[in-house]
Amino acid sequence: MDKTARGYRQIPVYLKYLINAVLLAAFLVLGNALLSSGAVNRAQSAVILQIGIYILLAVSLNVATGYLGQLPLGHAGFMAVGAYTAALIWKSLPGKNIGIIVLGLLAGGLLAAVTGMIIGIPALRLKGDYLAIVTLGFGEIIRVLIINLPGITGGTPGLMSIPKHSTFMVVYITVILSCMLIHTMMKSRHGRAILAIRENEIAAESSGVNTTFYKVLAFSVSAFFAGVAGGLYAGYTGILTPGNFNFMTSINILVMVVLGGLGSMAGSIIAAGILTALPLALQSFNKYRMVIYALLLIAVMIFKPSGLLGRYDFSLSRILEKAINGRLFTKPRKAGEDRA
Amino acid sequence: MLFLSQCINGLQLGSIYALVALGYSMVYGIIRLLNFAHGDVIMIGAYIALLTIGAGVNPALAVVLTIFGCVFISVLIERVAYRPLRSAPRISLLITAIGVSLLLQNVTQLLFTANTRPYPGSAIIPSKALKLGGLSLSLTTIVTILVSVGSMIALHLLIQKTRMGKAMRAVSEDTGAAQLMGIDINRVISVTFAIGSALAGIGSVLFCCRYPVVNPNIGSMLGLKAFVAAVLGGIGSIPGAVVGGFAIGFAEVLVTALGFSAWTDAVVFAILILVLLFKPAGLLGRGVAEKV
Amino acid sequence: MPKKPVNSNMVPLDGLGIIPERDAGKPPILDIRHLCVDFGGLRAVDDFTLLIGRTEIAGLIGPNGAGKTTVFNLLTNVYKPTQGRILLNGQDTRGKSMHELNRLGIARTFQNIRLFAGMTVEDNVKVGMSHGYSDGVFTDMFRLPGWWRTERRQHVRALELLDLFDLTDKADSLAGNLPYGDQRRLEIVRALASEPKLLLLDEPAAGMNPSETHELMDNIRMLRDRFDIAIMLIEHDMNLVMGICEGIAVLNYGKIIAKGTPKEIQQNPVVIEAYLGEEAAV
Repeated sequence: MDKTARGYRQIPVYLKYLINAVLLAAFLVLGNALLSSGAVNRAQSAVILQIGIYILLAVSLNVATGYLGQLPLGHAGFMAVGAYTAALIWKSLPGKNIGIIVLGLLAGGLLAAVTGMIIGIPALRLKGDYLAIVTLGFGEIIRVLIINLPGITGGTPGLMSIPKHSTFMVVYITVILSCMLIHTMMKSRHGRAILAIRENEIAAESSGVNTTFYKVLAFSVSAFFAGVAGGLYAGYTGILTPGNFNFMTSINILVMVVLGGLGSMAGSIIAAGILTALPLALQSFNKYRMVIYALLLIAVMIFKPSGLLGRYDFSLSRILEKAINGRLFTKPRKAGEDRA
Repeated sequence: MLFLSQCINGLQLGSIYALVALGYSMVYGIIRLLNFAHGDVIMIGAYIALLTIGAGVNPALAVVLTIFGCVFISVLIERVAYRPLRSAPRISLLITAIGVSLLLQNVTQLLFTANTRPYPGSAIIPSKALKLGGLSLSLTTIVTILVSVGSMIALHLLIQKTRMGKAMRAVSEDTGAAQLMGIDINRVISVTFAIGSALAGIGSVLFCCRYPVVNPNIGSMLGLKAFVAAVLGGIGSIPGAVVGGFAIGFAEVLVTALGFSAWTDAVVFAILILVLLFKPAGLLGRGVAEKV
Repeated sequence: MPKKPVNSNMVPLDGLGIIPERDAGKPPILDIRHLCVDFGGLRAVDDFTLLIGRTEIAGLIGPNGAGKTTVFNLLTNVYKPTQGRILLNGQDTRGKSMHELNRLGIARTFQNIRLFAGMTVEDNVKVGMSHGYSDGVFTDMFRLPGWWRTERRQHVRALELLDLFDLTDKADSLAGNLPYGDQRRLEIVRALASEPKLLLLDEPAAGMNPSETHELMDNIRMLRDRFDIAIMLIEHDMNLVMGICEGIAVLNYGKIIAKGTPKEIQQNPVVIEAYLGEEAAV
């Protein structure tokens, strides 16, 4: 078991962290340089921001769907809560500094998490399909609330002139940080408890896992990051309308998660990237987009229910370790085993 | 008098919901699938009626074609999309159902655009009003209630009195045991889909006569509310679906009558959440425990 | 051939049952009185009364469908009893959830194996260690010192436990890929990880060959001696039951038809009748 015992050389943990940190920082600097130098045009940078936001939406839905094994269909509702909260805070606090931006995103996330908890506590007592329908209903309720409370939300015409705080830097750092926090949570005893519920709920409960607590936890974490993504979305578009958060938005996010592979963060990220960029790149694709999505959902479920990447999680350190041991091209270990 | 006419209004809407809810409930009872595509089958039915009557087909024949069209498409969906997943995890089946629902909506949209079109309701049921004392009832209302109640009685007899009905009850009780007893599961499931969608076809005609507009999205909200009705009554329970359908119909009419029509959808879903909180098995349903 | 029983002398307690002499000074770990459960008018378990000593290895046997697994499900609150009460370590288990019971000291395996198939062997065991850690989600998310401590502690402990059943070198494989016998063993290890005082094993030897069963018997004794726990098992393999159980209860149609030491059970005409009756029916 212990790879050092078999002469398998491992990279020290601190070095793994350092490599990842350096690479992430390099990407940030590079991206910023590209954007500010004008090498990337406005339309392209808009696509990049959208991809970032959808990555966070997909990764956060993956917590509830891929890791916990439930099927919430109201992800757009949590996104809406976060978006409107952040937008209202930013509108009432003039100025653009890091404190205000963080405050808006955090408040959006927290309110979404609280909403998730309120909806999750009754819904999670129910089995899968009921949960799906309750969350779907919840998403619709949120939308009706937004439409019918024009004093706060701007109603159907929308909430306008929201400060555009979502720069590349803000989106990049938020998305990376969020993905890291979700990853570190999953690689811990809390994460293992959540996975155990997906694998076998009765066995988990009888092994001492408080399944209700962990379901609500996973659900709230999922809602929190959807709320943060909503905040980013508000700061990206500058205008929010109820139509941004309908059932189709929830489905879009679900398609990304399913296609990428339920339970694979790398899969969610890749699928979110492709499915966000594709319609923007190919205008003609737009007309057929939903038909293709629908066929993709059905085909993936029938022919490859595990999605593109299954439960595979990308780990740079693992690849590097293989490389220094000269085993880069040997058969990979089974998915979901990377630790630290 | 206003109260009475609102009651009849609720009865009309409720009986449509009940017809659609029956389809959800039967399918759920037999393969534990929330058939998201059920509402969209209703939408397909509306387009069939619209197109055939538009092409000069006799309205009575158009209704028959609508019903057969719904049956055909439902059975086809079950064959192609659901059957390969018979032993797959429930979440896969559910995602597939969502996919099928999206597919129906968007293919329809590609073919006929997203524009709303008028439904030839008056060709099917003439727009006449009958005076009963001080009460004015439209023919549509009367036909809707009579046809719905008639269909429900027919369904009840079918399930209780025929061999196929007995087989359906057996499969929904215990699929494995039913199979061991020599029941052809696939046939029973196909028949269940067929009956459920025949009711949906009838529901499609009645719904569109009440709200005579058609677009690719009419099925989704109707379907969702009917599903709420099925859950409210106790999913898998036939009488439950009927009770739930009428309850949702009355609730919606009541909310509208009180002047909160913008909130009806929210109220329906709030009812669902409350029911699941306090009576998760629904009004007439029974809980099922997992075998350990 | 039945093996030589390991047991000490069994002594009566409160006139309700027998427990090993060495446990006599202490209250029994499990004290079940008049337990009944009805399923839709059918009485699946009827007036089940049993005591189990602190370090006893107890057997629950009976023909198929006698209600043995139902008793386990009642003990772990998968089902709620219609009547009667269960004292686990002196505490009434009524109204407790399954995970609370686990904390009170009961852990189990399942007749139809229920592992976390998509997780590694080591992670399966770690999930069992659900008590005694207080660090929260933020500690984990931000990799605070508590996370490092917990991970180290759980890793070391998981390997120790896996070593008991020679599963250490499979720690990184997915549980679902293990051979059948290893899956049964892993379930026991996972149950042990929660540090139970009473371990319930539901047909631990099912599907094992005679030499594996033999090894399992040694292991069950080893677990009892090493962790000082009580073990109650359901098993059809009479060599195993008669070889390691000290007290045995025989269940038929939901009722206890006999209780006693292996020797007493083997000579009990009612038991022989129940088993022969079944054999004749087959």
